[in-house]
Amino acid sequence: MSDYSLGVDIGGTFTDIVVYDHTTNQQLNRKVLTTHDDPSRAVIDGAAHLLDAHELDPGEFSRFVHATTLFTNALVERKGAVTGLLTTDGFRDFLEIGRERKYELYDIAIEKPEPLVPRDLRREVIERITSDGAVRTPLDTNSLFTSADRLITSGAESIAIVFLHSYLNAAHEREALDALTTKYPDVSFTASFEVAPEIREYERGSTTVANAYVKPLAENYLESLAGKIAGLGVDATLLLMISSGGLTHVAEAKRTPVQMLESGPAAGALAGAFFGAEDAGGNLLAFDMGGTTAKLSLVDDGEPLIAYTFEAARQKRFMENSGLPIRISTIELIEIGAGGGSIAHTDALGLLKVGPRSAGSEPGPAAYGQGGTAATVTDADFALGYLNADNFAGGTVTIDLAAGTKALDSLATETGLSREQIAWGVHDVVNENMASAARVHIAERGRDPRNYALLCTGGAGPVHAYYVAKKLGLKQIICPASAGVASALGLLVAPGRVDRVATVGFRLNDHDPAELECVFNNLERDAQGVIAATGLDPASTQFNRLADGRFVGQGFDLVVNLPGGPYTGDRASVRQSLVDAFMAGYREKFGRTPPNVPIEFMNVRLSATAPVPGGEVLLSGNKGGGGATPTGTRPAYFPETGYVDTAVYDRPGLHVGDEFPGPAIIEDSGSTLIVGPGAKVRVADTGNVIVTLPEGASV
Amino acid sequence: MTEQKSRYDSILLEVVWTRMISIVDEAAKAIVRTSFSTLSNEANDFACVLTDNRGFSLAQNSGSIPSFIATLPATVRHFIDEIGYDNLEPGDILITNDPWKGTGHLSDVCLVCPIFRGGQIVAFAATTSHVPDIGGRLRAMESRQVFEEGVQIPLMKIISAGKTDETLVKLLTQNVRTPEQTIGDIWAQISACELMQDRLQRLMDDYALDEITALADELFDRAEAAMRKVISDVPDGTYRYTIDTDGAEETYHFAVAVTVKDSDILVDYDGTSPSQPRAINCVMAYTYAMSAYAIKCALLPELANNEGMFRPIKVVAPKDTLVNPSYPAAVVARASTGHYLPVVVFGALQQVIPNKVMAAAGSPLWVLTQTGINDDGKPYTNVLFYNGGMGATSGKDGEGCLSWPSNISSSPIEISERNSPLFCQFKRFAVGSGGNGKHRGGLGQEIEFISESERPIITLFMAERTRIAAPGFDGGEDGQHGAVKINGKNIDTNTQHVMSKGETVYLRTPGGGGYGDAKDRPTHLTKLDRKRGYV
Repeated sequence: MSDYSLGVDIGGTFTDIVVYDHTTNQQLNRKVLTTHDDPSRAVIDGAAHLLDAHELDPGEFSRFVHATTLFTNALVERKGAVTGLLTTDGFRDFLEIGRERKYELYDIAIEKPEPLVPRDLRREVIERITSDGAVRTPLDTNSLFTSADRLITSGAESIAIVFLHSYLNAAHEREALDALTTKYPDVSFTASFEVAPEIREYERGSTTVANAYVKPLAENYLESLAGKIAGLGVDATLLLMISSGGLTHVAEAKRTPVQMLESGPAAGALAGAFFGAEDAGGNLLAFDMGGTTAKLSLVDDGEPLIAYTFEAARQKRFMENSGLPIRISTIELIEIGAGGGSIAHTDALGLLKVGPRSAGSEPGPAAYGQGGTAATVTDADFALGYLNADNFAGGTVTIDLAAGTKALDSLATETGLSREQIAWGVHDVVNENMASAARVHIAERGRDPRNYALLCTGGAGPVHAYYVAKKLGLKQIICPASAGVASALGLLVAPGRVDRVATVGFRLNDHDPAELECVFNNLERDAQGVIAATGLDPASTQFNRLADGRFVGQGFDLVVNLPGGPYTGDRASVRQSLVDAFMAGYREKFGRTPPNVPIEFMNVRLSATAPVPGGEVLLSGNKGGGGATPTGTRPAYFPETGYVDTAVYDRPGLHVGDEFPGPAIIEDSGSTLIVGPGAKVRVADTGNVIVTLPEGASV
Repeated sequence: MTEQKSRYDSILLEVVWTRMISIVDEAAKAIVRTSFSTLSNEANDFACVLTDNRGFSLAQNSGSIPSFIATLPATVRHFIDEIGYDNLEPGDILITNDPWKGTGHLSDVCLVCPIFRGGQIVAFAATTSHVPDIGGRLRAMESRQVFEEGVQIPLMKIISAGKTDETLVKLLTQNVRTPEQTIGDIWAQISACELMQDRLQRLMDDYALDEITALADELFDRAEAAMRKVISDVPDGTYRYTIDTDGAEETYHFAVAVTVKDSDILVDYDGTSPSQPRAINCVMAYTYAMSAYAIKCALLPELANNEGMFRPIKVVAPKDTLVNPSYPAAVVARASTGHYLPVVVFGALQQVIPNKVMAAAGSPLWVLTQTGINDDGKPYTNVLFYNGGMGATSGKDGEGCLSWPSNISSSPIEISERNSPLFCQFKRFAVGSGGNGKHRGGLGQEIEFISESERPIITLFMAERTRIAAPGFDGGEDGQHGAVKINGKNIDTNTQHVMSKGETVYLRTPGGGGYGDAKDRPTHLTKLDRKRGYV
């Protein structure tokens, strides 16, 4: 009797399917093109293929975990449900007025992100709750039904309900939700208190509207996927990855699909944390570089850092504040327009720029020979000898080196530099773009990059990791096996998870900590219910309490960890422990002694996690062997030496304990790891390749 | 020279410049994280700059608002002139809030750190930030001289060779309402300067640089050439434009002559109204920043700021006008004059590059300040910001309610109601406020509050375009003007008002101007406007 887990990650281009056999610790992978008309088709075809090819018994699957970019794409492409908004009388424009700030200062033709609900589908309801939670005007059900009727007559399939101050008193939203659900059973409703009960009407409303916009899609899709997988004979319960890097059950995901927006990247970050846990002591900069973008996320003590807001569907993909604010817990990551397909060009100053425009996969880099004429990062990587033209992407793409060289030469002529200088220049400039973004991001968290190891994944990650690490002054690079398809495995190592928030406006010097305890108790009860409904043991739940704290008068919240509670007993000492927790968080982030000003917790947050029982996932390399032998050499360029004949190793042929010096090229079917001169390479017990960089200047 | 040029090729320059921009951006993140001022963290009302050893700007943080274009490098040069290279030593931090040598009002405190290498100054790190309070009267338009506007810090050292000037700190502490926060923000800025110093030293180590002046020159020359190239595409000539604005007892007049000759631009404000005994005077540094902003938007919007790109742009104004006041004029509300300037420059340029400019926006920024005593007896001050609509361009409608030329967010209603004894009746688009045209101006908004306080609330306004609307371009109609009413009656926004419980204050920010003739407006846009109720 075997014990299998199934993980499925639907991305924009590919759907990754992984089956892990817990009895033999082996994984089977399959990468298929995403079927956009019905995404579940690729999943079912791919999974059926793996079952057939490896003669797996569908009855022996104990776990089925899923991540998808489907809902994110619906927001980006504006292909969600026709959505309406019901809001407090006098305020229907908050969704379109937004924060009133520009994301780009010098563009006079700037366009605000188009609201998901146009003005004619935003209707007002007579009701009002004040800033202290009191009812000033009771909910007028006549106006509620009149407004809802008009929305539905105008074609609304899904409706968001956002009333002012509902984070404090949800009575009116609850009443409206109940009345409308009863009256219109075929329409989907989302009230803001269910999704993001936080102060700030625009951010809460934007999150609620986004949820309403994708909810009908989620209801249909998740139902159909679960049914089809059951049709294959797999009777494992479907679990969904949420953006904070945990798992939840189908009903919860259908209720708040907005929580799944970042499920794919969350799986990637969890995979990164998992791969690096043993070899780097848990402090990692996870670096994933693919065809069009690079993603960077920080892992502290084995845990990916969490953010409490992000932006979906940016108007300008890499521009902060150009998207729709979404207030959910999510793995914190930055996305940079830097990938293998990024196009090199010169700007008005004649300087060499790389990206963010990308040749994508159509036509792709010039060297793909599909008609692309612009020089890309991949073309430079071929010219530098980093990539193998005879066996690129496992031999699935035929490479036209001459076309790549021609593209680079035209840039060389333009800048008066040699082909070699341009090729290295493209590699160096794209690395600097990523390193600079990493420096700013890491500084924002008050961390020092030199304390982290770089964990590289994605097709282009291992090619660029070495000189990115050098720029950041990192000492170590970790490259997992099958770095090109690593992220789907993250699905199988995730715990069950629930994230909750409440606005409290709690002033530490004069409010009673017992009130805070009461809020946390409610959140904990709610979270435990979700854990139980996910099929996990509620008794195994671990709670983590946090608060968005600030000095009174400050406009900026700092999220800090709080002691576990209960906050009962001696008030003075409980207060002191809360103050200490905030001060410690403040010092850690700012490296500054906090001033002596009263503290306020605007929101409190709870994250609850519970382990998923069943087989573990273990990392192990090839045993035996010893003494790695290169399969050959090829000339490769390193700024320290120029072109040198460089040893090439076959990744699947390496064994635990192998050691050799750089420069070296280590080839895998999905990616190539480049190691510079003076570095040391070692294969760890985990099967990870560990590169130790030489000391010295970090250019 | 050739050897020097080859050292800084298109690749090294790009890589080093990218890294310098990441240094100032990193410092900016540090300021946002550590500041008390909501203006820093919600409005980016601060800037971080790295200059070479002559005070020429190499990099400015990406999000910094237009007010600071070229001002900080000029401040660095004032320090070089005032204190002298010979009197600077490692561990010095310089400070000033002189409006004429800084950014135009006392609230912006500038900090400068000389960066030494091998015993020589190789660069300067500089920051400026709007501190929470600087003393003086609260946002009072009635101030007649700068003395009423707060404490003045002349160009001096706050830290001398690592030793803090405790006398200065004590004096500042005594003269501001929120000493812990104001001094705290100054320390946050000093930390940011030190961070830039540390990162620049590491960069110079990594690339084995002894100095950065040659690299800076190469960068400036390229940026200057790029700006000259786009200017030379504009037909030579002198283009004039004038507007009148609300003013006080009488309207103010703004006149500009923009002269394009070969690859140079001269902006001349001759004919503009004289400076006033009110707080709306706009110092030359701010006048330059706003004029250069308009030109950059029109001609070279995508390029990161550095010294070279502004070399072809000259701005002049007669002394003692609204746009070039002399000490000791009152200047705190400089934005209510300065925010008109990009529009005036666009008005002139519209005659030759009609597709690269925008019709007038519903700016300057609107500010509602209330101060009083809470029901629990504590004094409070609350500042709320609101924006009008942007102007239309030849290609598209203006966006509704968007901050321009500045970049300041509006407070959420839920936060405003929580922080002040005001109840909001509505905050919504001012329907029909965008000037009609082939492309329509952006909508302003209307907001109404009721006072809920048992005690009187003192209310002050910064509200422009309440009488004279934002003009349209090329046959486009003007936007609707703004309005401020108390209990339904229009009021004089130049003086303060006292509101009692139950009284209402109504604000309507101005709409943006239209572009092109309304009869050419595409039918589908007219239909959409009606369907969505924008008109």
